Amino acid sequence: MPKKVVVIGGGIAGIQACLDIADMGYEVHLVERTPSIGGRMAQLDKTFPTNDCSMCILSPKMIMCAGHENIKLHTYSEVEGVSGEFPRLKVRIREKARHIALNRCTGCGDCITKCPVKVPNEFEEGLSIRKAIYLPFPQAVPRKVTIDAEHCRMITEKKCGVCKKVCQAGAIDYEQKDSLIDIDAAAIVVATGFDLFDASALRQYGLGSCKDVVTSLQLERILSAAGPTSGHLLRPSDKKEPRKLAFIQCVGSRDAKMLPYCSSVCCMYATKESILVREHVPDIESTIFYMDMRATGKGFQEFVNRAEKQYSVRYLRSRPASLQAAHGESGVLVTYELVGGTTEQRTEEFDMVVLCPGLVPSSGSEALCALLRIELDKDRFVKMPNWKHPIDSSRKGILVCGFAGEPMDIPDSVAQASGVAARISELLQAVA
Amino acid sequence: MTEFKPTILAFCCNWCSYAGADLAGVSRLQMPTNVHVVRVMCSASVKPEYVMKAISQGIDGVLVLGCHIGDCHYMTGNHRTAKRIPVVQKILKDVGIDEKRVRLDWVSAAEGEKFQKVITEFVDEVAKLGPNPLREVAF
Amino acid sequence: MPRIGVFICHCGHNIASTVSVEEVAKFAATLPGVVIADHNLYSCSEEGLNSIRKSIEQNKLDRVVVAACTPRTHEPLFRSVCEQAGVNKYLFEFVNIREHCSWIHAKEPSSATEKAKRLVAMGVSKAALLEPQTEGESNVIPAALVIGGGLAGLRATASLAAQGIETHLIEKEPRLGGLLNDITTLAPYSESADTLLQELVDEVRGSKRAHIHLNSKLRGLTGFVGNFKATLDEAGKKKEIEIGAIIVATGANELQPEGEYGYGSVPGVVTQLEFERTLKRGEKPGDTVFIQCVGSRQPGREYCSRICCNTSLKNALKVLEAGGTATIIHRDIMSYGTVWEEMYRKASEKGVRFIRYTLNDIPHVRSHASGTAVDVFDETLGERIHLDANRVVLATPLISQKDSAEVGKLLKVPRDKHGFFLEAHVKLRPVEFATDGVFICGTARWPSSVRETLSQALGAAAKAAIPIKRGKVVIESITAWADPDKCAACGNCVASCPYEAIEILEQDGKRVAKVNETQCKGCGTCVAACPNDAMQQRGFTTRQLSAMIDSLVKHALEESP
Repeated sequence: MPKKVVVIGGGIAGIQACLDIADMGYEVHLVERTPSIGGRMAQLDKTFPTNDCSMCILSPKMIMCAGHENIKLHTYSEVEGVSGEFPRLKVRIREKARHIALNRCTGCGDCITKCPVKVPNEFEEGLSIRKAIYLPFPQAVPRKVTIDAEHCRMITEKKCGVCKKVCQAGAIDYEQKDSLIDIDAAAIVVATGFDLFDASALRQYGLGSCKDVVTSLQLERILSAAGPTSGHLLRPSDKKEPRKLAFIQCVGSRDAKMLPYCSSVCCMYATKESILVREHVPDIESTIFYMDMRATGKGFQEFVNRAEKQYSVRYLRSRPASLQAAHGESGVLVTYELVGGTTEQRTEEFDMVVLCPGLVPSSGSEALCALLRIELDKDRFVKMPNWKHPIDSSRKGILVCGFAGEPMDIPDSVAQASGVAARISELLQAVA
Repeated sequence: MTEFKPTILAFCCNWCSYAGADLAGVSRLQMPTNVHVVRVMCSASVKPEYVMKAISQGIDGVLVLGCHIGDCHYMTGNHRTAKRIPVVQKILKDVGIDEKRVRLDWVSAAEGEKFQKVITEFVDEVAKLGPNPLREVAF
Repeated sequence: MPRIGVFICHCGHNIASTVSVEEVAKFAATLPGVVIADHNLYSCSEEGLNSIRKSIEQNKLDRVVVAACTPRTHEPLFRSVCEQAGVNKYLFEFVNIREHCSWIHAKEPSSATEKAKRLVAMGVSKAALLEPQTEGESNVIPAALVIGGGLAGLRATASLAAQGIETHLIEKEPRLGGLLNDITTLAPYSESADTLLQELVDEVRGSKRAHIHLNSKLRGLTGFVGNFKATLDEAGKKKEIEIGAIIVATGANELQPEGEYGYGSVPGVVTQLEFERTLKRGEKPGDTVFIQCVGSRQPGREYCSRICCNTSLKNALKVLEAGGTATIIHRDIMSYGTVWEEMYRKASEKGVRFIRYTLNDIPHVRSHASGTAVDVFDETLGERIHLDANRVVLATPLISQKDSAEVGKLLKVPRDKHGFFLEAHVKLRPVEFATDGVFICGTARWPSSVRETLSQALGAAAKAAIPIKRGKVVIESITAWADPDKCAACGNCVASCPYEAIEILEQDGKRVAKVNETQCKGCGTCVAACPNDAMQQRGFTTRQLSAMIDSLVKHALEESP
């Protein structure tokens, strides 16, 4: 019987780890908390520095993962308990009730059209609404709907039942219960990724109080053809095309009081977004407020140079002191100081401002690590204490890849994810 | 008078020049719309007959793009291409067709910019030559 | 008559914002043999694939054309959908209307739409003539080759050996370890580089599966994934080894900044690596000034070498520990992530001085009665500053190895314009080459920290181990064959084949060319060499390619002369 591995987190790191571990002949169980695999990368419009379409390169991997003979997907599921030691770990997975018979649902979407309940759409970063019965995004894998039990009227109030009426496949099951699955795993991979730091906690940045201040992830969705504005760059206040845009780096990060570390990817994605917006609105002017321009990867500095020269992006070394709504509801006033020995403050008006918040370990990862009995570093990322084995956690047989261990970009996450497969193979060979 | 837009066929090898063309795309390098890429595994598989056929049927220009000499995925394939295409050019010249209508060049997988340059130059060059004189014969 | 289905992808707005996908689909429906032409927001999404699958079944399609992105990334996906729907995967044809059309003609939507139509017509004409194929399989030699005995190569070798795979490690120098030999401690936690190196060397030396070849270089390589034959020059002796997979870990070198900032003329001016060596010898550094981005991030060599700032931070802290003062003159401090940023903060707190310069006003280094002097304009303060130093450390970038071109040529793998090896896909295939069975890790690909190098080495080791563990590789059915009726046994194909895969044999009383399919790599050279049109390559037959030419003539010249 093949040895089993549990991978926690279905973003690009988890997906790649699954594919490589499975290709080595091990049986892999991928546990993803949301209804679809894909993770953060699925939300991105394009990727730096080639501006390759994110979904286009991710989607084939998602599908390969779902179709692989050695991979079993547990979406809408969470790890609930872990016992034993390497190589005999027991992992308990809770498959949350979707209230859908997966083997019946065809993903046709008839139920979604008819569902009367509207809920803010998480995948669209709250910029649009979804229904209580939903497919998280068009390219979701598996392509099965999920009922959000918290908002479904039939489940909360026993009133409605429309989806059941329209579902010709008979897939709706309001009575469905969570199910528990135990896996005898030889090893576990933590690939739980990141969340955005909640920038509304820093009131000076105006997120929530100024309508035209958005997060970088919201901008990704706005730029995406499949996004809430069908790919039209419109600012939230009056749905007009902005002509003057500002990006603010290190929101909450590189800040001793908030997140002391650097999130590694923001300089580059802001550069990417500043190029992309110009492809949407050709005469748009973008300014990037930054502290250090960290363009350390392959082709990154050239990318920044291209943004500056070909796309007229203005890079301004300064950390703005405050953002306020301009006259009325639209536009944003940004107050900042110039470098060069002056203390002169300037206030400049922008049509729209994009915050690049620090990236933090994903919510719940701390509790998960406690369950796994692995240590965290002081920034709350998974600690990888062994110098020689930079992807090993503090506990044998539990490996880490991607952002869960340290801020890093997609290629570094993918390389690590493949590395995890080699490390598992090494460890299991030694006990074979 | 509307500007003459030549019709061009380009054979690109899978490993270098097709990848270079992809890179040009990924880099959003803009170029004229006249060139139609046909993917082949190696530039050495491009039969001289294909080039002759295209020209004799009125295609205004044919590009054959391969890996740089020494980089061929199939070891020495492009050495053969380098010998064959000049022969094709000579035959064309002998029958009164400007040999500049056929061009052989090397574009690596890393040379998106070179792909753009080759395409742009070749389109200009063929546009200057005007329509393939065999066009009228062909139709 | 074939039953062809054409599926045009919007690719979000990557294609649809330039090319009128609806118009192309409408046009495709009129082409001979096409029974259905459809379009989809993302053909490669599960939804898109399902709709193709359904369409194949409903319309009883026997040929499938997808017009979308590039076959180099997406062909396997669409081929597998065809297979799932019962259509042989070689009856699929890919038309690239993104990289080769919408993306490069962004400002000419109507011309781009016309071109997309012609490309689709060419693809359909080829598809009509496609034939089903069966794939061969080949065994994999259960051994691997790692080129380069530095950190990356050592870790990759250790991993493969620990996974139970016979691994040959070749190193051109007489000792293992590469650049790590010259380094004192590893940032940020001050582990000794020697300890890490020694542990790795011991592990590799102690493994019965790892075979170390010092003073050795790769001289030749033939074969393909699963079945490579490498010729080595081991201390002057020729040696041949057979392996199933190869990892390139040839590392990088430090740029020598000849003539810059007083290097070579002003005493006390050294490179970072030279400085490491003095620290390793136990020399007291004294007051030290580090100048960042020497020879990088400027016209001519645009890139940032990723590791230099962090190395300077580490060494500046060492200087402080040894009682000297440390100043880092920089343009941006690249202390990305958690640990490097923490080191940056620690350096600031402990008294390392940071001065920011710009390319418009670079620092000047000169001799001075008591040592070396540096004059620099501090951009942040807006004033000129004079510094006295015992040492000036020039942080120069890592550059590609001198012999990387040679290695690249032998392995047939590409390098970027800086000479670093070019991976198969910068985002999602960072440790692979486009050539199956050949992998890349460490600074030969791009400057990377010790931790990153170790992770990548493991990644490459995983990729190399996969075909070996599976024991079999599938051979794509693009091999050549000879039509015995047309073959005149002239032998041109035999002479042209780079793989000696063709022989002239007696068959039914007639001498004809015969292709050995396990040896044929599908280059098609023999096809062009054949004067009788007897040689054909599967998936690229002369009929198929001629049909594409005819189609272009028809749609570009006849219909819009």
